[in-house]
Amino acid sequence: MTAPAILPARGLADRLTGLFWRHPRVLLALLLTPPLLWLGVVYLGSLAALLLQSFYAIDEFSGVVKEEFTLKTYGELLRPSNFDILVRTVIMAACVTLACAALAFPIAYYAARYARGHWKAAFYLGVMLPLWSSYLVKVYAWKLILAKEGIIGWAAERTHTSWIIDGLLSIPGLEGSSLSTSPLGTFAVFCYIWLPYMILPMQAALERVPTSMLEASADLGATRAQAFRTVVLPLALPGVIAGSIFTFSLTLGDYIIPQIIGNSANFIGMAVYQLQGTAGNIPLAAAFAVVPILIMLVYLALARRMGAFDAL
Amino acid sequence: MTSAVEFQNVSRHFGPVKAVDGVDLTIAEGSFFAMLGPSGSGKTTCLRLISGFEKPTGGAIRIFGEDVSATPPHLRNVNTVFQDYALFPHMNVRDNVAYGLMVKGMGRSQRHAKAEEMLALVKLDAYGDRKPAQLSGGQRQRVALARALVNEPRVLLLDEPLGALDLKLREAMQDELKALQMKLGLTFVFVTHDQHEALSMADSLAVFNEGRIAQIGTPQQIYDRPATRFVADFVGSSNVLPPELTRALGGPAEWASLRPEATRLAASGPVRGTVKALRYLGSGTRVVIEANGTEVAALVPAGQPVPEEGATTAFAFDPGALHLMGAN
Amino acid sequence: MLSDRSPLSLRAAAIGGLLFLHLPILLIFLYAFTTEERSFQFPPPGLTTEWFGVAWNDRPDIWPPLWLSLKVAAIATSIALILGTLVAAAMTRTAFFGRDQISLLILLPIALPGVITGMALRSAFGIMDIPFSTWTIVLGHATFCIVIVYNNAVARLRRLSGGIMEASADLGANAFQTFRHVLLPNMGSALLAGGMLAFALSFDEVIVTIFTAGSGTDAKTLPIWMLDELIRPRQRPVTNVVAILVFAATFFPILAAYYLTRGGSETAGMGK
Repeated sequence: MTAPAILPARGLADRLTGLFWRHPRVLLALLLTPPLLWLGVVYLGSLAALLLQSFYAIDEFSGVVKEEFTLKTYGELLRPSNFDILVRTVIMAACVTLACAALAFPIAYYAARYARGHWKAAFYLGVMLPLWSSYLVKVYAWKLILAKEGIIGWAAERTHTSWIIDGLLSIPGLEGSSLSTSPLGTFAVFCYIWLPYMILPMQAALERVPTSMLEASADLGATRAQAFRTVVLPLALPGVIAGSIFTFSLTLGDYIIPQIIGNSANFIGMAVYQLQGTAGNIPLAAAFAVVPILIMLVYLALARRMGAFDAL
Repeated sequence: MTSAVEFQNVSRHFGPVKAVDGVDLTIAEGSFFAMLGPSGSGKTTCLRLISGFEKPTGGAIRIFGEDVSATPPHLRNVNTVFQDYALFPHMNVRDNVAYGLMVKGMGRSQRHAKAEEMLALVKLDAYGDRKPAQLSGGQRQRVALARALVNEPRVLLLDEPLGALDLKLREAMQDELKALQMKLGLTFVFVTHDQHEALSMADSLAVFNEGRIAQIGTPQQIYDRPATRFVADFVGSSNVLPPELTRALGGPAEWASLRPEATRLAASGPVRGTVKALRYLGSGTRVVIEANGTEVAALVPAGQPVPEEGATTAFAFDPGALHLMGAN
Repeated sequence: MLSDRSPLSLRAAAIGGLLFLHLPILLIFLYAFTTEERSFQFPPPGLTTEWFGVAWNDRPDIWPPLWLSLKVAAIATSIALILGTLVAAAMTRTAFFGRDQISLLILLPIALPGVITGMALRSAFGIMDIPFSTWTIVLGHATFCIVIVYNNAVARLRRLSGGIMEASADLGANAFQTFRHVLLPNMGSALLAGGMLAFALSFDEVIVTIFTAGSGTDAKTLPIWMLDELIRPRQRPVTNVVAILVFAATFFPILAAYYLTRGGSETAGMGK
């Protein structure tokens, strides 16, 4: 006897499968509901709460949050002491981004253009592991390095170059008793921690530059320097911008590094942390936290226009 | 004879794109049915409508008389040999073949025995323990075939199954598939864009164009009597004559097709043309003549004189060979 | 013809850059053995292994944060695995309305600086009068771990030929059998990799955690404990011992994730 052309459903699983097949949106809804509930309620809800808080203000006498709409808290951001914090943070983020781009380029270029086989894997892991390994451990390592009695001080003393460090530390704005209490130290640690975030997108962008393109420009009589400037750099630019999104945004929001290394000058992240904690001024903390969002929105809009998202 | 598959005014539209548009067809049980057409003509969508991976936006599909509009793919006793084979990469060949039996709840030793039987049928008995990645393209194709056949489907669907194979292997597989189909007496529905494949293997075929069936019939009917210019163009190396030329040759003012084998050179005739190209084919020479702005090919059998390129010649044909296609 | 050999200066700069990324971490190991506990003197005046014993025996303050971190990371990873896989499965299906918005929503918690996620959660807890607890920490961690699992899962799903899912249905398997016999075996290593990365991320997280943990002593994760030690150091080498532990707890999962997903376009970790 031949089998039937249509088999009977053998239970709930078969019947549900039939339902999913007849109404694919049922399955889609089942799949999406839990994650969307989570992200929608927990995350978007929180962001809404943040925005809401930033439009509240704290009563100066009682110290209690008044839950009514006001722009007063945002106005406070423009006070010189607060505005300084914003400017300082943005300058730091810009400097860190530029430095990371410069440091990342040789690594990304070498890994993309020359590294093959085992070396390629080594470079990949070599960037991946520091990127993912413990943030605090990395910051802590730099506390060891930058301490007055630490390895840099020791090396400088041995090579009789301590005067360079002393000279740097006496530049106005960079003063400190050692690198670990100078803004220079903060800058160095920011660069170190965010460097891998610049290397990876840069490498990805450079890998899309076909070797044949370089060869073509060489055939046309371009010197290595010309080929580099006119072919490689423009093609790497989207990668640089993609990387800069990370370095810029991460620097804008960080509050651990400047707290541990540097002269305790305030940054946006630190202000948020202190205002919500000891000061208990949640509305102002929230307003401070909204600033990096706004800066990043502008930054992302610019980056999109320059084609950076193809390199992500 | 029962019909294995029946389409009744079936459409599958993707938004404005009419992938399949008002198709009617009947596939007889036990036949080797080919769906032929260029890519994007709707033939693969028709195959996926039978297996259930697409749902019609209009019309009805019946498999052995049963309407399948509410039947999900896994309850249709129809199996597919996929174009890229779609073997499970994490299972060995034996488990791949036994998969359909496993999900139906057959015990391990029994299903493995059946799988081995099926592997022997496709001459892969020694390969049960290998992973698909360790097989050649031709071997994977056989595994895909065995994996489908082990379920004893009522209809076997083949989606360009030979497309990825090289020419020699493809010809060998054509013979094998045909022999297998005869032996099992199973209904095969075969999608291809290769007209030679379709003509040589199928009992009957449907030629698809832009989501519709241009012609349905036996290979002979399709080859000798193409219903439309598209079919004549796509299926054969037939000459397609515009109405003016047909009339000049003594017929009505209609589009017509004329097979090169039935066309011969003549010293005189109603239409003269210039020899544009010669191609030696072994059994003869194909001579392309340009007449009234249309290229007409004639086959000159070996041993007969062949004109030179640029020469002027007339041509003649057997009266019954001129096939009129009407206005379309 | 362009030479395939790199200029020496470029190679030196590249290798120098890699060393720059790695050498600082080695110092953590060295300082765990120093005999000097009050400063970061280099070179260490002497070497000892006593700090490992001290950390094990004499510092009961290490253990509760360690357990809390493990617990939080385990719960957050489990939640992220479920939610991340679900959303990945939905996103690989055909286009639907709101798809781009959803992918942005998943990415947002990791794309915006941690301080914003932290402060946002803090604001929400404030408005809704939710008391801080282990669960408020988990809430934050799971939110930014979803994207890690999602990235790994979606990359694998994209690489998997869609044909094998259809083949499974074609051969008579219902949706659940296809999930169990075809999807899961092919997704397994990607999910494991995603889970490990999520675990590493959660175990190490401090920026968001500070906002969601509150100030109770029982709400101290290991990274918060470490931060306290960095700000108010005592027995500095013990901090190094713990730092080594934290480093290992993130290093090995990352390495494992790399080997689990190696060889595809999806290699783990591109999207931290």
